[in-house]
Amino acid sequence: MAAKPIASPIPVALYPTLSVFTLAIGLVITAIFFIYETTSSRKNRSLGKELATSAVASVFLGFGSLFLLLASGVYV
Amino acid sequence: MAARIGIFAVVVAVFLSIPAFSSAQDLQIVNAERRIDLSSHIVKAFLTLKVENIGKNPAAEMLLAFSPTQIKNLAMVQALAITGKKKKKTYLPLDVKPTEQPDAPNDTGYYRVTFISPLGPGETVSLEVLYILTHSLEPFPVEITQSESQLVYYHDSAVILSPYHVKQQTTFVKTPSTRVESFTSIEPANRAGKEIKYGPYENRASYSYAPVIIHFENNSPFAVVEELVREIEISHWGSLQITEHYRLTHGGARHKDVFSRVDYQSKRSVSGASSFNALLAVLPPRVNSVYYRDDIGNISTSHLRTGFRKSELEFEPRYPLFGGWRATFIIGYRVPLEDYLFEASDGRRYLNFTFGCPLVETIVNKLTIKVVLPEGSKDPSAVLPFTVNQELQVKYSYLDIVGRTVVVLQKDNVVPTHNVPFQVYYTFKPIYMLAEPFMLVSAFFFVFVASLAYVHIDLNIARK
Repeated sequence: MAAKPIASPIPVALYPTLSVFTLAIGLVITAIFFIYETTSSRKNRSLGKELATSAVASVFLGFGSLFLLLASGVYV
Repeated sequence: MAARIGIFAVVVAVFLSIPAFSSAQDLQIVNAERRIDLSSHIVKAFLTLKVENIGKNPAAEMLLAFSPTQIKNLAMVQALAITGKKKKKTYLPLDVKPTEQPDAPNDTGYYRVTFISPLGPGETVSLEVLYILTHSLEPFPVEITQSESQLVYYHDSAVILSPYHVKQQTTFVKTPSTRVESFTSIEPANRAGKEIKYGPYENRASYSYAPVIIHFENNSPFAVVEELVREIEISHWGSLQITEHYRLTHGGARHKDVFSRVDYQSKRSVSGASSFNALLAVLPPRVNSVYYRDDIGNISTSHLRTGFRKSELEFEPRYPLFGGWRATFIIGYRVPLEDYLFEASDGRRYLNFTFGCPLVETIVNKLTIKVVLPEGSKDPSAVLPFTVNQELQVKYSYLDIVGRTVVVLQKDNVVPTHNVPFQVYYTFKPIYMLAEPFMLVSAFFFVFVASLAYVHIDLNIARK
């Protein structure tokens, strides 16, 4: 009887560390996005750059908030 | 004409030659010994039977008979076949199922025991039957004061009720203390200390019944959980969260008059002899985040001892429980996922968990176990060694879109012997785990897109 135990894809002990790092990176990229918004003029703005930065930032922030929820005990 | 007689003869011959398995009168119980343990409020009876086939046909099964009141209170019946002698005895479990017989006298209830191999004519087999009765000790007096001891009635028959002829039988009844107010004496019956012996009785016909009443003292804690709802939430991110809602009562003689705290604390051995104030719950070994609270808030009177094979939570309700008093509380804990979730050989996942109630020596009148499967699980099914009522529900929890499937298992009259593992199978594609972070990512992305739109949209009225 192959009873293979199923565990989480990411080790549970790593959740707090992962959440801190991913959230930190996500917030740094969010800062880059908003600095780009405020320092560029209407003519120089590139929509592709904005969308790319916001996509990467939202991925990091999304995963960071998931790991934060898991680390604090809300196992979603 | 001759052809018709011939056909008739052939049909009769066919009917007569069908091997008929023996009816009730072809078996005989050579020797029966019954030991009834009345030490706690859960009555356990051990029957050792030596069954002989005195008919001409092999017998594949036998019937165990119970009186109508006992059938209602029966929580579990188990049977083992004993083979071998003395040191090399092996016990093989037998299949036991409740059954109905059309010609049952006085509403007798039956359980059918199937032998491992059919018993040939003239052969004997030794069986050991265990049956457990709940709510069978009737408190008398029905109401007692704080300083009185609890006395209960136990109704049974000195002669074992059986659909077969019993050649020789003895019954031993074990009481928790030496105080026995009275017991019906059916010769030969005598009492020595904590044991009452009825028998030996010779050659009793089938369905013979000799009612006896034993009136004795039983101060063991009559802990009865009226309703228990256990919710097991599976999260593929790494944990199993179990929440248990209890409604606990004291099922013994009701408490009357006042409750004096002074008497209770100063004369503890005399006052409240049948009351209990602490309970023990056996939890899984690697348990964490255990909480014990009720509607008011956290209850701090608890001790948790974690161990390698099991953890023990010794907890006390806010007040000691006397007869008829109730306590409602919630116990919750978390266990790691890899201890309980496995992958079967056909690719399905299954949860292997223990059925029943974690409290020791308690009867649960109504037990509901809800297994909450993660979102995206399909084809749930439960596998249990005994019958339960099953149904499916939907529960909406954190980050849910379509809801989580809940497998609800419901059983009445549960005793600690029901704490056996059960499995819940379901299929799950691991890609569905990404649905939750994807929802969070898209929420953040929406915020960014909204700020982009705000920056790009020109709301000036005057043209530049």
